[in-house]
Amino acid sequence: MSLCQNRLQEERKQWRKDHPFGFYARPQKNAQGVLDLKVWECGIPGKEKTIWEGGLFKLVVTFPDEYPTKPPKCKFVPPLFHPNVYPSGTVCLSILNEEEAWKPAITIKQILLGVQDLLNDPNPESPAQAEAYNMFKRDRTQYERRIKQIVRENAAP
Amino acid sequence: MDTDDDFMSNLSSEDDMLPDDSDNDVSGDEDFGFDDEPDVYIDSQKDIGQRKKTPFDVSYKVFQPQDVQKQQDELIDEVNMILTIAKEEAAILLRYFRWNKERLIEQYMDRPSQVLEAAGLAQTTAGPPKLRTIPGFTCDICCEDEPGLQSFALKCGHRYCVDCYHQYLSQKIKGEGEAARIQCPAEGCTLIIDARSLDLLVTSELTERYHELLHRTYVEDKETLKWCPAPDCQNAVECRVKKKDLDQVVPTVACLCGYRFCFGCILNDHQPAPCQLVKKWLKKCADDSETANWISANTKECPKCNSTIEKNGGCNHMTCRKCKHEFCWMCMGLWSEHGTSWYNCNRFEEKSGTDARDAQAKSRVSLERYLHYYNRYANHEQSARLDKDIYHKTEKKMVLLQKESGMSWIEVQYLNSASQALQMCRQTLMWTYAFAFYLKRNNLTEIFEDNQKDLEMAVEALSEMFEKPIAELADPKLKVEIMDKTSYCNKRRVILLDDTAQNLADGAWSFNIEFMNSTSNSGPST
Repeated sequence: MSLCQNRLQEERKQWRKDHPFGFYARPQKNAQGVLDLKVWECGIPGKEKTIWEGGLFKLVVTFPDEYPTKPPKCKFVPPLFHPNVYPSGTVCLSILNEEEAWKPAITIKQILLGVQDLLNDPNPESPAQAEAYNMFKRDRTQYERRIKQIVRENAAP
Repeated sequence: MDTDDDFMSNLSSEDDMLPDDSDNDVSGDEDFGFDDEPDVYIDSQKDIGQRKKTPFDVSYKVFQPQDVQKQQDELIDEVNMILTIAKEEAAILLRYFRWNKERLIEQYMDRPSQVLEAAGLAQTTAGPPKLRTIPGFTCDICCEDEPGLQSFALKCGHRYCVDCYHQYLSQKIKGEGEAARIQCPAEGCTLIIDARSLDLLVTSELTERYHELLHRTYVEDKETLKWCPAPDCQNAVECRVKKKDLDQVVPTVACLCGYRFCFGCILNDHQPAPCQLVKKWLKKCADDSETANWISANTKECPKCNSTIEKNGGCNHMTCRKCKHEFCWMCMGLWSEHGTSWYNCNRFEEKSGTDARDAQAKSRVSLERYLHYYNRYANHEQSARLDKDIYHKTEKKMVLLQKESGMSWIEVQYLNSASQALQMCRQTLMWTYAFAFYLKRNNLTEIFEDNQKDLEMAVEALSEMFEKPIAELADPKLKVEIMDKTSYCNKRRVILLDDTAQNLADGAWSFNIEFMNSTSNSGPST
């Protein structure tokens, strides 16, 4: 079996054995109803004691054939209002960037926790969308109000 | 998102933190604000610039690949001995400190553990790197757990199988061209993989590439070193002119391969024009030279809104498409003042017409001024581009001349020196025009222009003699003339460069553009 498939199967096993509270992550079923290990549907809860608390955000993680040499792509569906999320929904995060901090040993759990951290701790050095970035920079109260509204719209069950 | 190149941040970073400046200069370099890292490779230097006598010369040295390697090895050996750490680790530390040995030793003595950590080295001193087979081991990357699996870990203990390591390293080396800062594959682990461990893990082809990349970072890390940009040349040149001095000096260096280039911007030799002007000039030329030429020849501007108009037929009654201004193409005056003498403009006395023509003339003047300089620049550039051609032609000529006149090879060398003088002078002349374009007129420019004119006339005269048929060249009288002219050209070139360089160093030129070195108060850039 290929390195990619092998590793993903193991990741799946590990996740089912143990995963952080409030998260979910499962490979998608393709059109024929067969599990596709290369596309995972994940859910990221907002951290407690932050403005994101109570929200649950859907993230699609797509693994390339070269995984784990190359990082997977993470995309919020629908796109999320956040300074480091591109209008397409793709997350801009150093550990997800091949040229930056991606390492083959990073696990799915670490990725999802990393994205969760990013929610309340945006990196103003690398903005990915204008709207959220500008509001975050200029009007923090309005930004927080907007986040709270988004959390309400995406409340965890 | 963030990370990458702030790796120096937890140590006192750039030079400005350290009192390592000036006054203990041992090399005897003069007044160009040389940095004074002590010279550690005195024995391996090839001192090309021994003759530092004119204001436009800078001192520099050329290093061949083995010299560069030797320098690195010497530094590594030294650190290895002083700090008693393994050579591979000494190399990693040196790279981290951009080969500044003094700073490395000083900081290492003060706080060894922080320095090691920041550079990506482990504290523990374990034995040499080794592949191991550990019972019950599972690789965290491929999740393989078959018995007998060979694995490797750096001193951090993050252990992965050999296959995964190999794949990771080949991606880094081949895919990303990374060598000096390949980290352990574990998340967040900053340990750097050293050369010895790498040799264990990859094939010889990758090792070769790896060492080549490392070799390259040495020159790229050191501000005083640059690769010779000539194709296939593997030499590096060392020059101590600092970036902030580039508005006072044009540091032209010549590699052993014969290529002459500017150390400041790596472009072809562009004396006497300073780097900043050259950059501006090249940009300007890339922007508008040919277009401007055509516009000047074929269009006029609307006297009201200055839109450029090409008249491609029809009568003289023009209506500007943009501002609807109506005017006469011939005299550029208002059409309404033309009364009934339509289609036949013979009036040159009306005021509106004169004004319009004046305004237009003004905008043309600046264009024409540019074209004046550009055409001369381009002319010499073209001649310079034929360099190679001339060189081969000269050789052929020299052989022919030997046959015709019975002169010896040494006796015909004067042709070679003439050709070399021509190339050098043309290169210089070419840049005098770019330089002149930005110069504000004053008494100094008069002298400059005289120098330029002298050199140009001498070069043209030499060029003409040089092109004469072989039969005439055999005439000993012409030979003497050519030799005289050659040395005259060379002398005129030196005079011109002396004058410009001196004035530049003194800040005596005034330019008609904002010409300031914006990098003057920032530290060494990466």
